[in-house]
Amino acid sequence: MEAEASRPKQSFNVGRWIRPLIGVVVLAFILWRFWNVLFVQQVYGPDTWMRFAISGIILGGVYAVIALGYTLVYGILFMINFAHGDVMMLGAFAGFFTLEALRGTGLLNQSIFWSILSVIIAFLVGMVAATVIAVVLERVAYRPLRGAPRLVPLISAIGASLFLENAAQLVFGAQRQTYSNPTIIERNVGWTFHIGEGDVLLTYTGVLTFVLSVLLMIGLALLVQRTKMGKAMRAVAEDKQTAALMGIDVDQVISTTFAISGALAGAAGVMWGLHMGIIYHFVGFLPGLKAFTAAVLGGIGNIPGAMMGGLTLGIFEALGPAVLGMPFQLKDVLAFSILVLVLIFRPTGLLGEVLSEKKA
Amino acid sequence: MRNRYLLVAIVLALVFALVGCQPAAEEYECTDEWGCATFEPGQTVKVAYVGPMTGDYSAFGIDMSRGAEMAVAAHPTVHGFDIELVVEDTQGTPEQGASVANKLAADPRVVAISGHSFSGSTEVAIPIYEEAGIVMMSASATNPSLTDLGSYVFNRVAFHDRMQGEYAANYIYNQLGIRSIALMHDGGAYGQGLAEMAGQFFEDLGGTVVGTEAVTPGETDYSAPLAAVAALGPELIYYGGYDSDAAVLASQMAGAGLEDALFFGCDGTYGINYINLAGGGAEGTFSTFVPIPESGAFTQFRADYQATYGDEQGELSTFSPHSYDATTILINAIESVAVQSGDNLIVPRKALADAVRATSNYQGLTGTITCSDVGECAAASIQFMIVENGAWVPGPGQ
Repeated sequence: MEAEASRPKQSFNVGRWIRPLIGVVVLAFILWRFWNVLFVQQVYGPDTWMRFAISGIILGGVYAVIALGYTLVYGILFMINFAHGDVMMLGAFAGFFTLEALRGTGLLNQSIFWSILSVIIAFLVGMVAATVIAVVLERVAYRPLRGAPRLVPLISAIGASLFLENAAQLVFGAQRQTYSNPTIIERNVGWTFHIGEGDVLLTYTGVLTFVLSVLLMIGLALLVQRTKMGKAMRAVAEDKQTAALMGIDVDQVISTTFAISGALAGAAGVMWGLHMGIIYHFVGFLPGLKAFTAAVLGGIGNIPGAMMGGLTLGIFEALGPAVLGMPFQLKDVLAFSILVLVLIFRPTGLLGEVLSEKKA
Repeated sequence: MRNRYLLVAIVLALVFALVGCQPAAEEYECTDEWGCATFEPGQTVKVAYVGPMTGDYSAFGIDMSRGAEMAVAAHPTVHGFDIELVVEDTQGTPEQGASVANKLAADPRVVAISGHSFSGSTEVAIPIYEEAGIVMMSASATNPSLTDLGSYVFNRVAFHDRMQGEYAANYIYNQLGIRSIALMHDGGAYGQGLAEMAGQFFEDLGGTVVGTEAVTPGETDYSAPLAAVAALGPELIYYGGYDSDAAVLASQMAGAGLEDALFFGCDGTYGINYINLAGGGAEGTFSTFVPIPESGAFTQFRADYQATYGDEQGELSTFSPHSYDATTILINAIESVAVQSGDNLIVPRKALADAVRATSNYQGLTGTITCSDVGECAAASIQFMIVENGAWVPGPGQ
């Protein structure tokens, strides 16, 4: 009897020791690799580190914007909208066709004013298109399943994702398309800095992407914290039934949430197109998956968490393989390993709160 | 009693069978080791094109399936039996390649495969078709090891990678005068194999391979791996992979600190698609091209292609003429070995494989095709191309 009673206690002790142990080992390994790569082997000069960092921060900004869409929807419906990445893809295509049309009329590079206006129009069209698609998606694929078990809308989301990808392939063709940027923000052109032994290029599109990501994040934070709609969203996230009793139209709030997440995805899509340059019907799949990871990393359902998760993931992806001396093809392995590690130590994510524990 | 009836029935049946055989003296008895495919009147003789029809690399598959379609349109029947082209999708992956191969191997009316199109998907399919006795002719599976397997069913009109790697290393070392290169590839059977082969030949010539970096195909941001390669300071990047990933690399090189390095692709990166995608980044980059000699037949092919599909030939990929030749060789071989037996058509399978392998001096679109005893049937030579003012032109010194 005594032995049996003490057994669970013992295994609890093991569990308590094993986590810090993993942590120490991993940390020691990373520091050792870091030390090795940075000071012993000196594979990369400061200019290369700077390039990694720039690439990571820009990528992280885009991940963060996409992750916000995941987190918003999760916060309210506790469902993972796997089609979110494909909404981003459709936004990217909407922006692409807008810029193509503007280039066709010759307005794209007519003057600086028109170039700026073209980019703004492309963003607006991309965001509106993605918003419409996200709202329709919610109406068609998720609302009929509102009362169903939680796995059902998840499957529906995966189906919607496949549908959107294949529909896009059918309509836009299988070929990849190149974004036609106006000449003032041509890709791979920008400011050069002399760091260490090399010139580091900070592209205009990269700066635009990052600044816009930050603006969108601030805008969203204000919207959620300062407006009446944001208050309603928070209330629905907190407790749907009670919110309904307070006179909030829950369906309306959910629709609006999808609209906002769609608009963010659309903006991310156009940013992706302008900065990365190449889009096709699968372009949303990987960023969508990464952004979902970022959302979980930051604590799903938590808005600042999504921003932080996105940036962290982007930077890890760009710097991690270099720091650890791994081939870059393994960056996804690294990204997901980090997710696992973070979840071992903080199951609610980096900024996860008690609230998300209650939801989970 | 019942036994006696049965005996009588058997005797009668034998008598009728013998008598019945008399007029049809050419009744064919299948003696082929791999068995025969039998077609009754109204049944179609199936030839399959297998390649990526959807997904990332669908441009290749769609283009090559069109080549196969045009070959069937040009030779629609054998001995009065219609040929049916079956198009199956692999998405370019080995997994799908295996499942498609199993599906086709289970269909007794499939006699020949024009494909598969990618090396990885071909590699897994060869043993399956070998088992079923179905002959293959690939237009674009270029990994050298495929013919090293010693398969009796596998043949290709594609120019294989060992030669490409050797020629490319030679050209880079001797013609461009480059002494240090970095290898990049997409981690696939084709890309990695080719890049490593080119690197090996380059080192044999006395050059240095400063490093190798793999990218994940299908992404649109390779700035971090490029920055890592830039830190190694290569004079040139040799890339093994396909056009869309190469276009991303070429367009992001300048931003990653590789503005002075050259980019050298392979036959998977050649095409108009690459230039369209990479835009200004394509300027001054190289690729490998298996040139098709100008001929009346090829001019006609291009005109027919455009008239039928609306796209210009060569826009999606450059392999439709190869696919046309591969399919035509298969159909010709079927025609030569098929025998009529009564109203039926019999295709002996091993004889068909023999006939395909025995192809010699066949005048195809891609040149004069003769198969070696391991199934290498490529006609063409190789040419290195460079992008100048948004168009592919032959590289210097050729």
